[in-house]
Parts: sequence; structure tokens; C-alpha cells
Amino acid sequence: MAFLPETDGPGAATLSALKRNFGLVPKIFRAQMLRPDLVAAQVQLLESLLFKKGALSRVQKEFILLTVSAENNNSYFPALHCQTLQFLGIKTEQSQQVIVDHHGANLSDADVALLDFARRLVSEGHSLTDLDVESLRKSNFNDEQILEAVLMVGLTQLLNCVQMGLGTEPDFKPRVIFPPEEVNPPVAAERQILEPELPGHFVSDDPDFEIVVRVRNGETEAFEELVRKHGRRVYRSLLGILGSAEEAEDALQDAFLKAFQHLPHFEGRSRFSTWLVRIAINTGLQRVRSRKEVDSLDEENEEFRPRNIQAWSDTPEEFYSREELRRLVEKEVMKLPVKYRLALMLRDLEELSTEEAAVALGLSVPGLKARVLRGRLMLRESMAPYFSKAGASKS
Amino acid sequence: MISCRDFISELGNLLDADVASEIREQLEAHLAHCNTCQVLYDSTRKTLRIVTESGSFEYPEPIAEPLVTKVMDRIRSGCKLEDSQNAD
Repeated sequence: MAFLPETDGPGAATLSALKRNFGLVPKIFRAQMLRPDLVAAQVQLLESLLFKKGALSRVQKEFILLTVSAENNNSYFPALHCQTLQFLGIKTEQSQQVIVDHHGANLSDADVALLDFARRLVSEGHSLTDLDVESLRKSNFNDEQILEAVLMVGLTQLLNCVQMGLGTEPDFKPRVIFPPEEVNPPVAAERQILEPELPGHFVSDDPDFEIVVRVRNGETEAFEELVRKHGRRVYRSLLGILGSAEEAEDALQDAFLKAFQHLPHFEGRSRFSTWLVRIAINTGLQRVRSRKEVDSLDEENEEFRPRNIQAWSDTPEEFYSREELRRLVEKEVMKLPVKYRLALMLRDLEELSTEEAAVALGLSVPGLKARVLRGRLMLRESMAPYFSKAGASKS
Repeated sequence: MISCRDFISELGNLLDADVASEIREQLEAHLAHCNTCQVLYDSTRKTLRIVTESGSFEYPEPIAEPLVTKVMDRIRSGCKLEDSQNAD
């Protein structure tokens, strides 16, 4: 946990700028929302110095940020900016190498000199002389570039210090954890920030993240890739709720439109695909409710008592053709109450993890597990007449 | 020794291979002497196999591309991103 509470607070323009550049509102800024004016000032500085085109390239500036953070034993910013660098076309392996030791990161001699300078400014700033600046000039850096480098070091120092002071946990799982015996004094080694574990709902490697950022930045056509990629999952979720192919096709369009419109609110707390399935489920449930046919979504407390306790043969499906099995499964699954049907379909047909399915349905993990189990047991009951030794041999 | 009720409450985790070895041993010990739970476990496992391999609720290939086109047409014809002021 962070030392101070995280909050969304005011400052919509600031949040919007952060989402545009990071794809999410990093926790480091959420943790400072008691003073939104100061968050806005920091974001403005980031935009002027880092995000906007300057004398140094964006990648050079990002590398300075990584190097300085590493020098400060800071795991938070490397985790965040490795992700950013990935979107700038820099492979994670190279970013990691810059963090560990930029000399082995396959950089130009000039960039190595630049990062040497940044590191020295952090660790031995008091002994820096004009010779250090002169060596940068010899590497063909002009004075404007050197000024930007110094300011980037200063900005990173500020951000690192704020993060350490607030104990903010990483937004993404750190890929490089500094070995405590090498870089952390014993006391600091116990700091929360260096813990590699993140809450389970935080996913660092959403494969759709980049496309989401592009769409949010105005590249509407990129959304087509998301529709094509996730159409099957959305359709199946909706078919499971609505039971009609025609209605599922209509609802699929509505679900994707809602997802598109609400994309600015997607914060990357879960995978995009999980968030999308949740929208699809809500869309489907709204339609069912409008038909006034929905069964209760409340939990049932009565104990489940299995019937039909007759052994099944080893391969009971061999008594039926594939087409017969498909129809049989669809018919029996559709007979399940919607709450159990959805839980079962997300877990056993869509093969979402328990955690993902729980998020998609807005349930706790134990709640989701209970529904999946009940759905499986009810389905077993209804399939038993077809597959138990007695039933199957009759067919 | 665990009861049938205990067994059923852990059945979901057992099917998902998500039980600690100590609990698994207790569940297996129960199965060894309880025919009812043995049948329940075996038939539920087979139910899941049939469901996952049945190809049910498939997304028909012929409708996939037309649906992509319809969605994108609706977006191009004026559907806008909402302001990000309200977080999700």
C-alpha cells in the first residue's frame, strides 16, 4: 500500500494528458491528488521536457530517465517507462540492459557518453567539472542538448524522490528488480517499492494496450483490429446470454460501439479483452431484462443435491456424432439459469481465468467459483440421461 | 476424514487442478471409499470435456467480416469517444 491514499480527485485535463501519453494515470500521480495543482505542474513539465520534441530525441530522454532511476535503485519508473519505450519501438530487452548497464545496451558511443554523464551527475554531481560538459561536446552534443540532459536528470530525481517518499507501488510488474545485495542498503531493501508482487488484477502485458492508446489518440481505424480480434469472444458471450444468433449479432455491434465510446475511461486495470467482455455482458443483460425474462441474479443459498448418480462410460461422447454433440451441448447450456450459464461459458468455453471471469462478471473470485461449480453440476445433471451407462446404451 | 459436502465444495478447485497437495490427498482419500462422489467427479470431468470439445456456440465465419464492417461504419458515421473526465 502507498503511504498516502490514492484518489482520482479533480484535474480532468491533467488526467487526460497522462492517459494520452501513458495510456493510464500512473499511480505516482494518483497518489498526489490532494494537490492537483502540483500534479498539473509536474505533468506540464513532463510534457515540455519529455513528451514534446526537443533537442534530444525522445528515446535519449527516456534512456536518461531509466539510467537515473536505476542509479537511485528505483524500480517504479523503469517499469512504467519500459512499457512506454516499447511503444516507441524499443525492445524491452534493450531497455532492461540500459537499466542494468547501458554500456552493454548496443548504443552509439555518443549515447553511452550521454548516459555516463547522467549517471555521474546523480552519483558524483558535486565533483562534476567543465571537463564533463566538454566531453559531451566532443561527442557532438550541442549546448541545448546538454541543457535538456541536465534537466531530464533533475526531473527524474524529482519523480524518483516523490515516488520513494509516497511509497507508490509500480503500475506494471517491474521487469528488473535491483539485486538487494548490490544496490540496496539493508534498510532500503525492505522498502515496499522493491517488492515484485503486484495485486492480481494488475496486468502489465495486455497485448491490446498499444492499439487502445492509438485509438484514444485519434486513430479510429485502429479499432477495427480490436473488433476483428475479439468479435468471436463477444459474440459467444452474447449468444450465451441471448440464445439467439440474430440478436447476438445486433448486440455485438452495440457492445463494440459502447466500448469505443467509453475507451477513454479504460484505465488498464484489467486486460482490454476482459473489460470488453464485461461491456458485452452488460449489453446482453440489458436486452434480456427488457424482455423481462431474466432470472434472478441473486445468490442461491440452498445446497445443491446431485441426482442421477450412475456411472458414465469412459468415452460417452462416442455414441453421438460431433454435430449431435454440438446441438446437445448448446441446448442443455441454454437451459441453465443465466447467471450459471454465463459463469460456465466464460470459464469453460471462453477459457478465461477465474480472475478474469470474476472481473468480467463483477464478482469476487469465491463468488465466481461457486457459480461455475453450480453451472457445471447442473449441466452434468441434464447431460446424465444421454451419457450415463444406462442412458447412452439406450440411444 | 472429509464429508461428501466438503468434497463437493472443493470439487470446482479439483476440476481446475487448483488445490494444495494436502487437500488433494484428502479429496482422493474420500474418493477411494465414496462411490457417489467418485461418479460425480468422473461425470462432471467428462461433462467439461464434452463441452469444451463440442465446438458449441461458434462464431460463424461468414458473419464475422460483415459484422466488422457494420461496426466500423457506425463508428465512422459519427460515433465519438467520450470525454475522459470520468474514470471507469
